[in-house]
Amino acid sequence: MNEVIGTGTFEIELNGKTVKARVGETVVEVARREGIDIPTLCHDPRLDPAGACRVCLVEVEGQRRMQPGCAWRVNEGMKVTTESPRIQRHREVLYGLYQADHQLDDAGLPVPSANENQLRSLCEKTDVVSLEPVEAPRRGRDHDVNPYIQFNPDLCILCARCTRYCDEVEAVSAITLAWRGGETTISTAGERGLLDTSCELCGGCIDTCPTGALIEKKAPPLVQLQAKPVKTTRSTCNFCGVGCQLDLHEQGGKVVKITSPPVGETLNDGNLCVKGRFAYDFINHEDRITEPLVRGEDGELHPTTWEHALQVATQGLLKVREEHGADALGFISSSRCTGEENYLMQKLSRAAFGTNNIHQCAAT
Amino acid sequence: MKRHGANREQIIELLEHEGGVTEQSVRKVSGETGVPEADIWGAGMFYSLINQPGKRVRVCDGLTCQMMGAEQLAEDLKESGKEVERVICLGQCDRAPASLDETMNLVTYGKTTHISPENSDLPMNLGGAEDMAWSALAKAREMGAEAVIEELKAAGLQGRGGAGFPAHFKWSSVRQQVDQERYVVCNADESEPGTFKDREVLLRRPHLILEGLAIAAHVVHAKDIFIYIRGEFTNEIASLKKAVAEAEAMLGDVTVHIAKGHGAYICGEETALLESLEGKRGMPRLKPPYPTEQGFRNKPTLMHNVETIACVPSILRRGGTWFQEQGRTEAGSKLYCISGHVNNPGVYEAPLGITLDELVELAGGYDGNPNSFSPGGASSGFLPMKYRDLPLDYKSLADAGSMLGSAGVVVLNDTIDMAQAVAWQLEFFERESCGQCAPCRIGTQYLRRQVHKYLETGTVDSLKMTSDVSWEMEEGSICGLGMVAFKPLQTAQEHFPEAFQKRSEKQ
Repeated sequence: MNEVIGTGTFEIELNGKTVKARVGETVVEVARREGIDIPTLCHDPRLDPAGACRVCLVEVEGQRRMQPGCAWRVNEGMKVTTESPRIQRHREVLYGLYQADHQLDDAGLPVPSANENQLRSLCEKTDVVSLEPVEAPRRGRDHDVNPYIQFNPDLCILCARCTRYCDEVEAVSAITLAWRGGETTISTAGERGLLDTSCELCGGCIDTCPTGALIEKKAPPLVQLQAKPVKTTRSTCNFCGVGCQLDLHEQGGKVVKITSPPVGETLNDGNLCVKGRFAYDFINHEDRITEPLVRGEDGELHPTTWEHALQVATQGLLKVREEHGADALGFISSSRCTGEENYLMQKLSRAAFGTNNIHQCAAT
Repeated sequence: MKRHGANREQIIELLEHEGGVTEQSVRKVSGETGVPEADIWGAGMFYSLINQPGKRVRVCDGLTCQMMGAEQLAEDLKESGKEVERVICLGQCDRAPASLDETMNLVTYGKTTHISPENSDLPMNLGGAEDMAWSALAKAREMGAEAVIEELKAAGLQGRGGAGFPAHFKWSSVRQQVDQERYVVCNADESEPGTFKDREVLLRRPHLILEGLAIAAHVVHAKDIFIYIRGEFTNEIASLKKAVAEAEAMLGDVTVHIAKGHGAYICGEETALLESLEGKRGMPRLKPPYPTEQGFRNKPTLMHNVETIACVPSILRRGGTWFQEQGRTEAGSKLYCISGHVNNPGVYEAPLGITLDELVELAGGYDGNPNSFSPGGASSGFLPMKYRDLPLDYKSLADAGSMLGSAGVVVLNDTIDMAQAVAWQLEFFERESCGQCAPCRIGTQYLRRQVHKYLETGTVDSLKMTSDVSWEMEEGSICGLGMVAFKPLQTAQEHFPEAFQKRSEKQ
């Protein structure tokens, strides 16, 4: 989607205004750069355009039918209209159809979710036609005991961002569209729980879901999130050396959820792994070691200073070398280390202690 | 992930071989092909012939079968202790009601079918003998590709699958593509309710189809021909396989592959068919690109309906102008299927532009007092008898707000409640929507529910929003199914308003 085929630029007409566009760009890409809002639901710049949610339909001169702006590539001189009575009516009825197939609140709007519900946002600012519900027989997987990912079929709009993400970005293909027509749902092989599939629990499906049909099981529900202020802090994941950026959501002095910064903003491009997204329980865990400890004569661990702890470690290592030779020692650095830290580790091993027994735990 | 590949293309067939989609069969097929289990599950669950393993009788719920008592038949079969599933039109409307037994053998309960008598001046001539020498292919080789296309142009051949698109454009377009890996695909997934013409061509004139395909492959330089035929057509598949074996010498270095459908009406839509051929869920693609540019395996692909391709040999043998002159208001002859309330339902080859009254005369006259007709499958809606003299061609019917479609003409007499007939058609579309886009997925559910509600309660209010929803289905859907699925309701409301007035509670 982001690939630009060629580098040529040309002009197109967008809502009567002449704007620059590049070869290979889509209508939505050009429009967003120009500050024109075309609503989308099934669009994620990391994925091949699907044109499936139909929310982004625009009028292209010479085309009888309205076309999906997320997939329609611009070419020189093209004239595109993103607001017209026809497009407006299309949105009013389309959102009405989505509402007829969605869990609604007392005001008749799509329910808010703990993440966000973009369908709700779209409906809020549109004069949506009111339709009786269709009660689609979509199946969930209530028996799925995985600890992280929850699927609520009543909020699913079948945009297939999750399944396409799982395939196209993660190359995992743990989830799929299954059945057909109104029965279509997000499923797994044999409708098994995610732990019994190829799923790596990266949670990218939650991240890309526009309606909150997929949410974090561990995160607080909406009411709790709304009860007290939530502070968001950008940080670097320290589970490995890649340097993914995270947004820590903190409430009442505790991290309650971790999300990735938006797509395109940081090097991880909206992606996280299972550790980065879900492994934050250690932060407030009672077993967490928060200061250096040295085992005393009594066999118990006692708090001490870093200086003393390092001294004890050094003495212990030197003693092994004296008694058994340098090759009796081995050094393993953590997968959480950066390249520079790994370099220092091998320096310590080879230059300071004189052994080539050096390894990095992520190397195998 | 790799989206294409020989292994993925096999998965649906392998699942069928394993008896359908189960956790075990999916695991096995995944092991054999290397395709992820979820992809196999997702694809398999799309197809109703394999998504619920087990043996059962399948009773057609197409319009004609419903009119001819399929409901009662299903009840009787259930009472006799059989497990019964209602399935979409089996393409046996002339012999309605129809069913498939537990081993997928056809069992019909109606009349016997009729076809036009043998006449060597008919381009298709269903009753005639096959030309086993394939003289048209020899002629095509002699003429050269461009001359063949010129002949098709002179013939004015329009796609017989329903769209009526001029055939020669597709041939030229494929030839103009830079990519030299090209395919020819024949759409034999005939499943539009009321339609059974391709069935007769497959049974009686398979060589006409194969010869047409071989000519197409010669013209567009394709080495592989794929015929996608609906899985319910067991006799037709056998007929085709026999003909392919007989044609080995004539085909030369061109290979014919027969791929079976597995129970999804939408796979008759050309891009859904391609997805299905590639071992995926039959969800239509966005167009453009068109199949002539990026079709099977994303390569230039020439796709035609059975009847269209079967017209090609006679066009080359006797000339485009001759073929063109076989029509009345538009070019060529046409296979019309006629069923419902007529005396001799069947497939009649007639000049394109014949009227309903003339067609019914061929079919032995009306049965009872005709009230309406559906000229070209479920998607064409219902027309009143005031159109009995309208030429049944692409343009005239489009102008009348309907379509010729597949020319599956169904006549309904005054014993049929039009609102009920609409409900039958809407049930069909709801079941067969692929589910990809909201206007169609939710729209078909909505319309069916509201019409059922009207039938149950008699309140006109149930239908007050249906025109808005229909408008959006036409404007917003990805493919032709959603764009026309409201037609039965819309046309019936327009032409038979009395059938949608306030009624007392369910009569």
